[in-house]
Amino acid sequence: MATRPLATAALAIVFSLAGATAHADETCQSPYLPKLVGQEDYVYVWTLGIEGLGDGSDKLVTVGANPERDDYGKVVASVSVGGRHEAHHAGLSDDRRFLWAGGLDDSRIDVFDIATNPAQPALVNTITDFEEQTGGVVGPHGFYAIPGRMLISALSNGKDHGGKTALVEYTNAGQFVRTIWMPKGAEYGYDARVNAHLNRMLTSSFTGHQNYMRKLGDLLGDAEAMKNFGDTVVVWDFHARKPLQTLKIPGAPLEIRWALDPTHTWAFTSAALTSKLWGVFRKDDGRFEAVELADIGDPAKVPLPVDISLSADDTTLFVDTFLDGMVRVFDVTDPRAPKQIYERKIGSQVNMVSQSWDGKRIYFTSSLLGQWDGHGGEDEQFLKAFTWDGKQLTPTFELDFRKLGLGRPHIMRFGQHGLVSVRRGDEAAGPGLAARTR
Amino acid sequence: MRWRRKVSTRAWLVALVLGLVAGAEAHGDAEPGRAHVAPPPSPAPVFEPPAPGSYELPVIQRVGRHQLLDPDGGPVPLLEAGRVAVVSFVFLSCGHACPQATATMQRLDRLLAERGLDAGVGLVTVSFDPQRDRPEQMARQREALQPKGRWRFLTAPDQAGIDEVLRDFGQHVGVWLGPDGEATPQLDHVLKVFLVDAAGGVRNIYSTGYLDPRLMLNDVLTLAGES
Repeated sequence: MATRPLATAALAIVFSLAGATAHADETCQSPYLPKLVGQEDYVYVWTLGIEGLGDGSDKLVTVGANPERDDYGKVVASVSVGGRHEAHHAGLSDDRRFLWAGGLDDSRIDVFDIATNPAQPALVNTITDFEEQTGGVVGPHGFYAIPGRMLISALSNGKDHGGKTALVEYTNAGQFVRTIWMPKGAEYGYDARVNAHLNRMLTSSFTGHQNYMRKLGDLLGDAEAMKNFGDTVVVWDFHARKPLQTLKIPGAPLEIRWALDPTHTWAFTSAALTSKLWGVFRKDDGRFEAVELADIGDPAKVPLPVDISLSADDTTLFVDTFLDGMVRVFDVTDPRAPKQIYERKIGSQVNMVSQSWDGKRIYFTSSLLGQWDGHGGEDEQFLKAFTWDGKQLTPTFELDFRKLGLGRPHIMRFGQHGLVSVRRGDEAAGPGLAARTR
Repeated sequence: MRWRRKVSTRAWLVALVLGLVAGAEAHGDAEPGRAHVAPPPSPAPVFEPPAPGSYELPVIQRVGRHQLLDPDGGPVPLLEAGRVAVVSFVFLSCGHACPQATATMQRLDRLLAERGLDAGVGLVTVSFDPQRDRPEQMARQREALQPKGRWRFLTAPDQAGIDEVLRDFGQHVGVWLGPDGEATPQLDHVLKVFLVDAAGGVRNIYSTGYLDPRLMLNDVLTLAGES
């Protein structure tokens, strides 16, 4: 041990600062949190309650995902938060010890401890005054870890429940830090994703509370309401939190996925209403351009692309379309010329898609929004797991969330025992903790 | 011996997977088959930092001054009255993220000294492993790094002393357990460096992927411009 300090010091002296910025990603996770690159043990599914089904409440459902464990393909735990709040998206804290989960209707945020026992998440904090704290922001949507904080991209505001909204920051301990309203001309919000290597953040745009809490059939028939969707992606200086450019992408650009190789200076997004795949490319002058890349299905049929997932090697993009329940896979090796290489019907409807870091395991859930689900008639609710061999999907397990009395499954996040350490002071419980956490 | 072999494998895999891919100094149960991916090499960041004073650094949280030990073993405050601080939590036997933090602190130390700003800014490297990192080890660290400005190397008198500091800053440090539930020497933490203003307000937090001395320097200059 005596030589360690000097060895550390020597390393520090010769360490290349230029090469010190590591921002590889777990396909869609923030560059600021540890990545799960091996076999996930659990999939945490943030689930919207259905009246009359089970306890009817929003809940975090933990599903075993490791085929070497006895709980593979089974519901391991379910933590209800009480009531329905339009459970939607959730995100991991920067130390991956907590999962923040939002409700789009009443702006409630629930924080779960997923580290003390990854198999049994515990609800440890609830924020119920989001609108008051943030100065009128409602609809906390995206939860994106930044160092020491949670960046929340919202969808709406409490004044008119329209699309004007903001980015909000909270500390990891759940204390409000600041609100940054979206810039003029690009007031709508949805996703926020950072490329640390470029110090650039992209935000996208959806619609406000008055639209996303409305029956989809009614909304589609209301031409005036259909005007109230976002058509912008904003390029930000992330460190300064200053908007630099507003890019036009018609038809509600939703999920954003930066390429993961730091030499790849582009991102993908899909426009829900126009069913187009778009790229956002950094130009030689450092500014960005938005480029329409491909149709997703038949835009005339409005399949409504929702979630996208980019492989860790930046070659393969999965695109879910909600209304036809399809996944389409694009080869994006040439990011300006994507080619569809595969498609499969996942169910009567499909929303979220998540892939393991190695791209071999793909998970799908069915629910988009409580008022939009079942638009096509059938309203099945599921988590379905597949393997991907580069050419096709092969089913491994599926869970019927209706039959299980759980609800509408939405976003998925992965957990693993190997990512969890024990709080100092708890070592005394050693053997018991070790048995529990392995 | 089985345990020793496992530690060795684990350390290597974790260096590969969590230290480099994630930038987190985590020593997880990264058994063979759980981890496969080497990260691509990271070239230099491709941006010019925003100009000092052109942006806001809101108070994220407030922290106390706390008493720790300097390399001579004497009690000293972690935060000095009236001085901006850049605080880095490390442990000296850490092989991955901590050296990155220390290298960044060293570069920042030079940048501040070159600009004559070192009088108003204190860098602090704090060990959260006080049982192994005693004041004499911190003294050797200081000697090896040869600070140009006010860069202090502190440790705590005991575990309880540092745990109180870590709680205040919101820096998690965990212990990895061995296969039989025994505590191992391996500590789990996500690297964080804190910028603290002269009144004890945390104004920015840096972690891997964000440890750019240019940004940190401009943040210090932004705080200097406030006063």
